[in-house]
Amino acid sequence: MLRELDPLLHSQLRLAIVSILLSVDEADFVYLKEQTGATAGNLSVQIDKLAAAEYIRVTKEFVGKKTRTACQITEKGREAFELYVEALKEYLKL
Amino acid sequence: MEEKKLNEKESLELITQMIKQSRKNIAVGSGNRFLLYGYSAVILAVVVFALVYFTGNRLWAALWFAMFLPFVYTTLYDRKHRPTVITYTDRMINETWKVIGTLFIITVLTMMILGYVVGSVNFGLMMPLALIYCGIGTSITGLVIKDSVLAYLPLFGLIFAIYMLMTLPALHTPVTWHLYFGISFLIMMVIPGHNLNAKCRK
Repeated sequence: MLRELDPLLHSQLRLAIVSILLSVDEADFVYLKEQTGATAGNLSVQIDKLAAAEYIRVTKEFVGKKTRTACQITEKGREAFELYVEALKEYLKL
Repeated sequence: MEEKKLNEKESLELITQMIKQSRKNIAVGSGNRFLLYGYSAVILAVVVFALVYFTGNRLWAALWFAMFLPFVYTTLYDRKHRPTVITYTDRMINETWKVIGTLFIITVLTMMILGYVVGSVNFGLMMPLALIYCGIGTSITGLVIKDSVLAYLPLFGLIFAIYMLMTLPALHTPVTWHLYFGISFLIMMVIPGHNLNAKCRK
């Protein structure tokens, strides 16, 4: 029987965010917005969902007068992503 | 990009596309930092050499502490201009130079404390040690970013460090050491820095 795909990752924007964070050490909100082409509001909501599930770590800091939101993938997020890819391979019989 | 459900094939394609895209858009580092430190050392070497040589006053060698100015400048600059993305390579390089920076601070403090206890200190020892610390840091950076010029050229600069350590006088270091130090930084940082910038432009 095929295992269920993680619903948190099985969405276009959230999967894109996690994929990007997997290939870099840290990315800020601006970078994620540019790479995904998502709107600020939507991106913010999806980042919050991933952070609530502890798949990513979000840190906010002041750079000059502006707030910088930086995101990093967590070990839990990395493991979830690995399981997700394994499940995808099963579905696609790779 | 929307929050839409994907089929399995689309998911795999999206993962591949995002990883490829984010890697493509990451700028490879430049040699500007090496040029900043390299030229600072070369200019200071000439200035300190000239002042000590023509005035005969060795206290001018204390101007070498001005090498901490580029460090202060880069620290303040980095605080104001945080990059939008930090790669694993960036992190590795930053951590390496943090260790080297700490090593400098520990060395200066140790020399000051021991100098106070013993009653005399030869800060000339800082020259070969600085060459070794910076040479190793530059080489590691070269290895991490896979730039053989940056990785191996500093080793030639270290020849002066070995020479200095082998001929280290008890109290006053020869005035020519200032020039040797500048030449070492030219080999260790300025040449690889320009080479790295030329590569980045291509």
